[in-house]
Amino acid sequence: MEHFSHFNAQTVDDAVSILRRYGDRAHIIAGGTDLIGKMKDRILPRYPEALVNIKAIPSLGSIQMRNGMASIGPLCTLDEIARSEIIEGHWPAVARAAARAASPHLREMGTIGGNICQDIRCWYYRQPENRFPCLRKGGGKCYAINGDNRFHSIFGGSVEEGCYAVHPSDAAPALVALDGRVKTTKRTVSIEDFFTVSIEKTTILDLDEIVTEIQLPLPAEGTKSAFGKFALRSSIDFPIVNCAAAVTLSKGKVAAARICLNAVYVRPYRPAASEEAILGKPLTEENVELAADASVSGARPLSRNRYMVQIARTMVKRVLLACS
Amino acid sequence: MTTSRYLCPYCAARLDDHDALKSHVIAEHGSAPLPRADGQITITVNGQILEQKVEPEWTLYYLLHDKLGFSGAKQMCDRGACGSCTVIVNGKAILSCMTLAIECDGKRVETAEGVAAADHPLIEEYVKHHCMQCGYCTPGFVVTAKALLDRDPDPTAEEVREALGGNLCRCGTYPQHTKAVLAAAKRLAK
Repeated sequence: MEHFSHFNAQTVDDAVSILRRYGDRAHIIAGGTDLIGKMKDRILPRYPEALVNIKAIPSLGSIQMRNGMASIGPLCTLDEIARSEIIEGHWPAVARAAARAASPHLREMGTIGGNICQDIRCWYYRQPENRFPCLRKGGGKCYAINGDNRFHSIFGGSVEEGCYAVHPSDAAPALVALDGRVKTTKRTVSIEDFFTVSIEKTTILDLDEIVTEIQLPLPAEGTKSAFGKFALRSSIDFPIVNCAAAVTLSKGKVAAARICLNAVYVRPYRPAASEEAILGKPLTEENVELAADASVSGARPLSRNRYMVQIARTMVKRVLLACS
Repeated sequence: MTTSRYLCPYCAARLDDHDALKSHVIAEHGSAPLPRADGQITITVNGQILEQKVEPEWTLYYLLHDKLGFSGAKQMCDRGACGSCTVIVNGKAILSCMTLAIECDGKRVETAEGVAAADHPLIEEYVKHHCMQCGYCTPGFVVTAKALLDRDPDPTAEEVREALGGNLCRCGTYPQHTKAVLAAAKRLAK
C-alpha cells in the first residue's frame, strides 16, 4: 500500500480532533477489513493521508444492559456479538446475523460499527485503480444500469444519485428489525435513518463524526426474531438477499411486526405492505405467503436481477415462519 | 526458518539480541535508554520478543513473511477472502494481510512455524490424513485449527467445518481437514 500517517487515538475526542484537522483526507480504522481492501485496490479517487486507529479507546468495546436497553460499543467484534448471552437473550436475530457475516477470521477482526458503516460492494465501484469513476464516486455515470447488475437493487435506486448498488451488511437488517438506534458524537438516530446514499459513503456520518454506541430497546413481551441469509457459499460470501424480522404475538395473532430485507436495495428495506398484511393475523403459512408476496410488490428489477425477487419473497416467508 | 532480528531504529544495523542492540544504540547514536521511534513496535512471535521498526502501510503479513522470514503465512488473495495468511494474534486466528503491523505493538503472534515447533498433534494428523496436495493453504488451515482447539478442545465435526469456513483450498482437500482436526482433538484429550 501507499504511505500514510498513522495515529493511535486515546479517546473519542482525540480521534475527532485528528479527523477535523485532516478534513476529508483522514479516515478512522477499526477492524480495517473493509478499509484496507479499498486502500489496496485504490478504488477511490483520493487515497487517505492519515488513518486514525480507534481500537485502543476503552469505552467503545463492551456489551451491557443499560436503562432497559442493550448498549453495544461499536468496537465489539461480530464474533463477540454472535456469542453474547445478552444479545442472544432478547435479540437473537442480531446474534444470528453477526454469526453469518463473512468468515470466522473476519468476524474476529470486524466490528459491528464497521459493519454498519461499510461501503458498497458493486463491482464497478470496487474495480481497482478507480477504473469506473461512477456516480457514487462523484462521477457522471452508473455502469450497472446497462451493465452486469445481477446483484444490484431490485427496488430501484436513490433518486438523486441513481446508484443501484445494494447495502451489503448482514447485521443491518437485524438491527432495523429490532428497532435499533445509533448514537454518534453528534446525534442519536434510528438505525433506519442512519443509512443514506451519498458520494463515497453509505451513512449520514460527517467527516469528523464517529459512532459511539448502538442501542437496542427491549422487545415487547412475546416477541420473537429471526434472520436468514441467501448467498452462493455458506461462508465468506456477502448476502445476495438477507432478511430479518421481529414479530410480537399476542393471543396467537401478530400484534406488531418489523421486517427488513437487505442486499436488495440501496439501503436496508422495510416492506411496509408486508408488515401491514400480517398485522392482526395468525402466523399461518397462508398468511405468511400473502405477506411475502406483498414484500416484493414494488419490485423493479433490472436487466439481470429478476431472480432476486423470488429469493427475497422466499426469505421473508422463511423468516416470518421462524418467528412463530 | 526463524531468525531473530534486532534492527537499530536509526541505522537499521542488525544485532543479535536486545542487549547488543541497546549497547549499539548508546555507543553509535548516543541515546539511552532505547527510544521508541515512530513506528517502533514490540511484537512476540512464537515466543520470541522482537523489536521492529515498521512503516504504517506495512501489513502484519508483510512484516512476518517478507521482513522476518516467517514464510508459513502465505499470500493469495491479499484481500481477506481466502485465509492463507492466517496467524494467531493474542489467541485469535486473524488475517495478517488485513492487519496493520503498526497496530500489533505489544501483541503475541503465533505462526505455523510455532505450531510445528511445539509439536502439536495437528501436524502429524494432517500428514496422516493427506490434508495437503500443493500445501499452499495448509499453514492457514493448521493455524486456524490450532486456534480452534485452544479455545474448544472438543469440537463437533460441524464446529470444525464452521471454524475452517474462512480457509479456501483450490486442491479440494476439505473433507480431510475435518477428520484431521477431530483426530488431533482426540489426541489432545488423552
